[in-house]
Amino acid sequence: MSKRIMVVDDSRLVRVQMEDVLKGTDYEIAAHCRSGEDAIAQYAAIQPDLVTMDIIMQGMDGLDAAEIILKDHPEARIVMVSSLAYNDTFERAKAIGARGFVDKPFHQEQLLKVFEQALR
Amino acid sequence: MNTVMTKEALEQILDQALQDVTEQTAGVRLHQGSLPLGEDLCTVHITFDKGFGTSLTLCADTSLLARMACNSFHEDVVTQEDLEEFCKEYFNVLCGKITGAMYRATKIPAHFGQPVFYRGRYEPEDQEVQFILTYSDEHSEGAQFIHHVPCTRGDGEAVLNRTGQKGV
Repeated sequence: MSKRIMVVDDSRLVRVQMEDVLKGTDYEIAAHCRSGEDAIAQYAAIQPDLVTMDIIMQGMDGLDAAEIILKDHPEARIVMVSSLAYNDTFERAKAIGARGFVDKPFHQEQLLKVFEQALR
Repeated sequence: MNTVMTKEALEQILDQALQDVTEQTAGVRLHQGSLPLGEDLCTVHITFDKGFGTSLTLCADTSLLARMACNSFHEDVVTQEDLEEFCKEYFNVLCGKITGAMYRATKIPAHFGQPVFYRGRYEPEDQEVQFILTYSDEHSEGAQFIHHVPCTRGDGEAVLNRTGQKGV
């Protein structure tokens, strides 16, 4: 059975890229939320196996959104996906309970490895 | 962007990042050349609001950017909205790569605002061009990747960036 992914990113392009790299794998995109606020609102209804969360978005950033989702749903498995990451970003992501970090632009091998680790 | 990196080193970082991200994101190979741009242009621009007082601008033939967007979205044609969305996300990733490379070289953490998209050519106010990298592709469509620095004042004093010197 496929693992269901909720993609949180304000860009439609990222959803297309994610579909490309997940084609033929055991993962499927269950939802695409274009803001942190939307992800918080939809998480309970979607109940994804994994969330990929962009960091820099219009409105609430991905770290804040991940923190709120994890507070309400401690079982949530969230992987941060961003083009901009410093040590303090990694540390905060880890501190709030994110399960991994993927750089943009992402490769299939890199993405699947982080997904597998996050779902263990 | 800072005082510990030469202009040549910065150019190398920008060039490598642009070529890598363009090929990986849009399947287009760009090479440096002196091809003049056409008349139908689009520009995408970011400003560093933390770390550096500079900005980066990509001005390119609309046809080149549209082809890159088509490749990325797997569409034969793209809407104006798709083109703008592609340009912003592509430039966001490109500038993220550059910022990461800059951080590894200088240990200065930088932050940039959301990319802004313009139809036509855009020149940021109060900034001047430090250097331009010029590219073309196999279809002879072109792009200019421009590094802007704060303008020199009328009295000859440079507007200083974070590190206290004008320039890179």
